[in-house]
Order: sequence, then structure tokens, then C-alpha cells
Amino acid sequence: MIKYHPSEQQLLQFAEGTLPAAESLMLSAHCDMCTVCQERLRYHSENMAKTSLHDEADNPALDRMLANIIQQPEAERPSLNYSSPSTIELDGRRFAVPRALRRYIHKTGNWSSLVGKLWQAPVDLGDIGMAHFIYMEKGGRVPEHTHKGSELTLVINGEFSDGIADYDSGDFIAMNGSHTHAPGSDADEGCLVFSIVDKPLHFTSGLARLLNPFSHLFFK
Amino acid sequence: MLVGIPVEANQSRPVKPIECADEMSGYLVEVASDRSKVAFSKIFGYFAPRLRSYALKQMGNEALAMELVQDTMSNVWQKAHLFNSEKGSPSTWIFTIARNIRFDMLRKLQNRKEDICSDDLWPVLCEQTADANETSLEEQVTLEQLGHLFDALPVKQRVVIEAIYIDGKSQQEVADELSIPLGTVKSRTRLALQRLKDMIDDHD
Ligand SMILES: [Zn+2]
Repeated sequence: MIKYHPSEQQLLQFAEGTLPAAESLMLSAHCDMCTVCQERLRYHSENMAKTSLHDEADNPALDRMLANIIQQPEAERPSLNYSSPSTIELDGRRFAVPRALRRYIHKTGNWSSLVGKLWQAPVDLGDIGMAHFIYMEKGGRVPEHTHKGSELTLVINGEFSDGIADYDSGDFIAMNGSHTHAPGSDADEGCLVFSIVDKPLHFTSGLARLLNPFSHLFFK
Repeated sequence: MLVGIPVEANQSRPVKPIECADEMSGYLVEVASDRSKVAFSKIFGYFAPRLRSYALKQMGNEALAMELVQDTMSNVWQKAHLFNSEKGSPSTWIFTIARNIRFDMLRKLQNRKEDICSDDLWPVLCEQTADANETSLEEQVTLEQLGHLFDALPVKQRVVIEAIYIDGKSQQEVADELSIPLGTVKSRTRLALQRLKDMIDDHD
């Protein structure tokens, strides 16, 4: 069951269209998986429509616009688009990807193996930045780290824990420099997450600290 | 910011509809089914000035504001069939269209590439959102599979599906051409898609 949702402020800005693009993408994907937030979003949109669409004096230019618009034909119904895939594959397993992220499936690079039963595939989000699908096999763990920037994670399929909390499919997790955690999965099925990090991770413990100079090669 | 915010599962906060919601809903249905210019003029008369005031605040300049109003109302005129009163009020639907257009306009003004677009973030104007059953079908069928299964459909259903999805006609156009009610076209479409879906499920 989903326990972790975006904050009220994030949802408000998302409904308004003012949340940064990377965060908006994560929220949209979360809403694809979360009926609670679909309802919250609907509520905010309804409210915003009421407060944003104030009455205003008519404007003569609008009459010309009206005349112009009703000359236009009805939109053509697009033929069905079968080309866009809705799943990604790792080692013969298929994972359904939320609607909002499907556009990026064909921009997803190959899976590569990282330390400790971890796999990652980079996703090119263009001018928004880089994202990764990260798969933790049972027993796989990302070394303990904190963040120089923000780390947004959406659980696509499975369960994992990070020393702060336990997460399940659909959970939305926002981390920043004030959080130190070590995500890992003990679930038999492992766990697939989608993650956007805007700055390299900073590893905090043991040998993993040696990774810091190279951390931009992992997870970012 | 915290880890993510737990939310009470069963919160429901009903939003009071604006006064004219039912009236405007009716007009949208008329635009969708009959291309009624009178009905559209009513919608336009009510929403265009309000959109203009929103757009002026958002875009801060008359020309861009009018472009935002024009694009929004054009979409309402051309895609009224995508409005679903069960999902929200006309003002919410129209506001979300304007919000999406604003998002794309601002990105374009910043010379951003089309790496992300409003349709992905908020699928307000996607055909798919009109009917969840059709969506799940579209995801599962490949064109090749569909070709084999097409022939198995009853002729009446096949004709409708071909006209809509291959020739790209609107449901209204198909109704006119075949001289059958729009409701019949809709139900044949639904039945055909359901039948295709069942056949595909059996295939697996
Ligand atoms: Zn949620």
C-alpha cells in the first residue's frame, strides 16, 4: 500500500503548472499509481479553476477570436498509436511503467551492473536532466549516502527500506542534504525504482567514501 | 522537506460546483455532438473573458495572453468530445487546458526542447483519458495482432472501427455516413474494442 505521497505544496504547484519539470514528471507518475493523489489533484484543480478564472470585462478582440475559432473543423481523431511500449525489461522480467514515464522508455539506456546486486539503466530526460531506473536484487544495497542536491524516487515495483522507512510500490520519496540513508531491498522479488538526482550523491560511511570522487559515474 | 508525506487515505473534500456548471456542461455536449455554434458562443462568452484575465496575469503581455485564450478555446471547440462531466466541472476542464498550454508556451519561450510536454504531465486532452477500457486495450495490442483479429469482428462493428481508427473519422461523421444514431456508433465501438480485448486475452 502507498504510504508516502507528495506534500500539499508540491501538489498545489503541480496543479498550477509551476512545479519544476523534473518534480512534475515524478508527481505525474505517482498520480498514475495513486488514487488518493488523483483525488487531491482533482480537488486542487477544481479550486484553482474557481480562483483563477475571475470575471472580467468583455474585450472587442474576443469577438473576432470567436468568429475565427468556429470556422475551424473538429479535431481529427488520431488513429491508435501502437508504437509506444509500456514496459521495461530486466533479465527476462517485465515491469509495467506508469503512463507519465512511457515517453522515456525508448530513451532508456542499457542496464549495467553496479556494486552489490544493484542494476541501473540511465534515462535521458533531455534538458530536464538525467534519471535512472535502479533495480535492487534481494539483499542489494546502495552504500549509505547523503545528497548535495535533491533526490526524487518513485517505487515502480517491489519493496525496499533505507534505514528511515519502509517503502512499497507507488511510494514517492523526496530526499535532500538533511537526509542520510542506505536504500536496499530484502524482498524476494527485489525492487525497481525510478530516481532523479540533480547532484552527485555523497557517500558517508566506510569504504564507500572512496567512491565519492567517482560518484557522478554512479546514480547520476 | 520530509521524506514524503503520509496522507489520510479516505479524505474527501467536496468542491462546490460553480453556479452554471450544469448549463455549461450541456453546451459542451451540444458542441461535441452537433458542432453547435450557438452553444459554443455561450461557452466562449462566459469563459473567454475569464481566461483572458488569467492569461494576462500569467503571461504579462496582451499578445501572449490572447494567444493563450485562443489556443485554449480552439481546443474546447475542436475537442469538446473529450469533456467528461463525471471527471469534473467544465471550468476545471477548461482551466486545465489553459494551464497545459501555458506550460508549453513558457517552455517554448525559454527555448526548451520538447523533452517534456504538458500532455505527458497532465493527460487532459488525450483520447485515451476518454475511456479507460480503450486505453488498456491500446496498450496491449500490436498492429499485427490486430490485423488477424479484425476479420473476426461482426461486420457492423468492423465498419465502425475502421472508419474511426483507420480513416480517422469522428464518431459523429460515422453516424452521419451510416445514418445511425451517435449512441449506436459509440456502443458498437465499445463492443468491438471489448471483443478485440477478449480475443487478445484468449491469445495469451
Ligand atoms: Zn499519493
